[in-house]
Amino acid sequence: MNILIGLITGMISGATPILLAALGGTLTFYAGIFNIAMEGMMLMAAFFAVLGSFALHSWVLGLLLAVGGAMILALIFIFFSVVLNTDEFVTGIALNLFALGSTTYLLRQIFKVKGVFTSKAIVSVPNIRIPLIDKIPFLGPILSGRNLIVYLAVLATVFCWYLVFRTRFGLRLRAAGYNSNSLDSSGVRTSRMRIVSLLLCAVFCGLAGAYLSLGYVTLFAENMTAGRGWISLAAIILVDGHPFGIALISLLFGFFDGLGLFLQSYGVSSQFTSMVPYIATLGALYVYARRNRERERNRL
Amino acid sequence: MTRKIVSGLLGVVIALAVGALIMFFQGYEPFATYAALAQFSLGGIAPLTTTLKNAVPLVLTGLSAAIAFASGPVNLGQPGQLVFGALAATLGGLYINLPPALEIPLLMVLAILGGALWSGLAGLLRQAFDMSEFIVTLMLNMIADFFTAWVIAYPLMDHKAFSPMTPPIAQSGWMPDLGPLNSSVLVLIAAVAVMWFVFQRWRAGYEWRITGQNSLFARLGGCDVRRNFMAVMLVTGALAGLAGGLVVMGGPHRFIKGLGANYAWDGIMIAIMANNGLIETLIYGIFVAAIQTGALGMELITNVPSEIAQVLQAVLVLVIVATREYAALLFDRVAARRQASSRKERAA
Repeated sequence: MNILIGLITGMISGATPILLAALGGTLTFYAGIFNIAMEGMMLMAAFFAVLGSFALHSWVLGLLLAVGGAMILALIFIFFSVVLNTDEFVTGIALNLFALGSTTYLLRQIFKVKGVFTSKAIVSVPNIRIPLIDKIPFLGPILSGRNLIVYLAVLATVFCWYLVFRTRFGLRLRAAGYNSNSLDSSGVRTSRMRIVSLLLCAVFCGLAGAYLSLGYVTLFAENMTAGRGWISLAAIILVDGHPFGIALISLLFGFFDGLGLFLQSYGVSSQFTSMVPYIATLGALYVYARRNRERERNRL
Repeated sequence: MTRKIVSGLLGVVIALAVGALIMFFQGYEPFATYAALAQFSLGGIAPLTTTLKNAVPLVLTGLSAAIAFASGPVNLGQPGQLVFGALAATLGGLYINLPPALEIPLLMVLAILGGALWSGLAGLLRQAFDMSEFIVTLMLNMIADFFTAWVIAYPLMDHKAFSPMTPPIAQSGWMPDLGPLNSSVLVLIAAVAVMWFVFQRWRAGYEWRITGQNSLFARLGGCDVRRNFMAVMLVTGALAGLAGGLVVMGGPHRFIKGLGANYAWDGIMIAIMANNGLIETLIYGIFVAAIQTGALGMELITNVPSEIAQVLQAVLVLVIVATREYAALLFDRVAARRQASSRKERAA
């Protein structure tokens, strides 16, 4: 029983950063931007979350700084790709490199360490206990006592779905990706929709990064996102960007993430258990490719 | 051609200016820093040869990315292919001991096969199941990273070492130094020459380039697009694998922890700066190697952390690409205006 609860809570905490980053990415996906900078945005956010929480002794300010850090990358992305019209793929890769380089640099510059920074003075984002629900057997310890950002991620999923499919803004957002010319001729600037989508993406990636460094663990490590941004990109592609689909896929990845940790306690070496989420991504891609192929066959 | 040089130089100058601004705002002296950077990477025989040696993996992975991108396949798997090449060369060097004249080529071939194996896997997944190589190669990078970390921590671990690494490979497999210059640089030059010839002068290279520019046109023209895809994946994986092999054979002579991390994205970055041109990749690769090499020395005398090199590199990519695309626009506009005015004169 406890093992099962452990697996499920592990799944939830593994899923949260991927879910948040993918939700951010999906807004840009709908707006027609090939955005691969989630990895970098998350990494920046993870760094600035630790910086804010450590220097200002408050996790709220840590969260705000995290979003600010991701926002810096979003602004650079906007400057290069929307204003100067630089290739989005190139901009994204360069930004990921920039995030990796500058966080490594700042880690050395501000905290005077290489590799990992951790301190008792970093305030982590609290876990939330929900009064009545935590009394329910089995479900109680799963639904209650999770990190605040986990609950924010759940809200964010519904918010994204509502925003994209139930509001005028969402319609315009999708139009920006689907047919930017007709959106422009209807009097709404596509570039403006894209800018807004990138800024929103930074907010979500900011939360995702803050969860990594102030929730999942309380430290900053060089390159601590470890490909999660890329997995979130895969998640978006796999479900064509639908927020609820993304939530499902993220839980699946979270499950494999947790499964890896679980196997580790059974003596499988950590290098192999760490591979599990990436192998799972390959598996998911396989299923996606097969489904696509069948769909095409049915069309003919 | 002049256009390329002008916009390239302009990009480098602007990027260095941005870098100088970043340093200035942190209270460092940009000019002293750049001077130290240049002094420790280009000022003299020893710094220069070190720069060239450090350029080997950068240029080879850069070539790998450039050829892949220019031919269509989005092979982002250089980091994984590099560590697999390094692993294959290390394995050969640990268990086979031949005279250097045989050992060195053998280890290089093993490295090439190691890299091609890992990129071939991604190619196969694409061919057989339509799985996009873009994400597959990225995932395979992570898997290769963890796999090699396991190999050097368990089966091949050197128990005398402080951190995970293999024992040193047979001495006959070490790339010899020719005076101050490591011979891996010669291999690099040969590799660049061969790839340039294949890519620019051979039919195969022509087919790859055409496929990269317009895959439908290539197919209608009679190219076997699927076979070319696989060929490009294998060749680019082989180049990255060779880079890994040469890193082991020319440098630490063993597989050490974090071997691939240093070159992870550098190759892709260099290919992007070079706009997928092979000669440009060589030039930008040496340029980036100079920054990385100089940064270590610079840290000693200016107390600017050497990690600034990473920031500089990212700024370089963004600014060089943006400048190139923006300059192309400006050049076109100027050319159009000139044409228009000459037409007007003729009409008058």
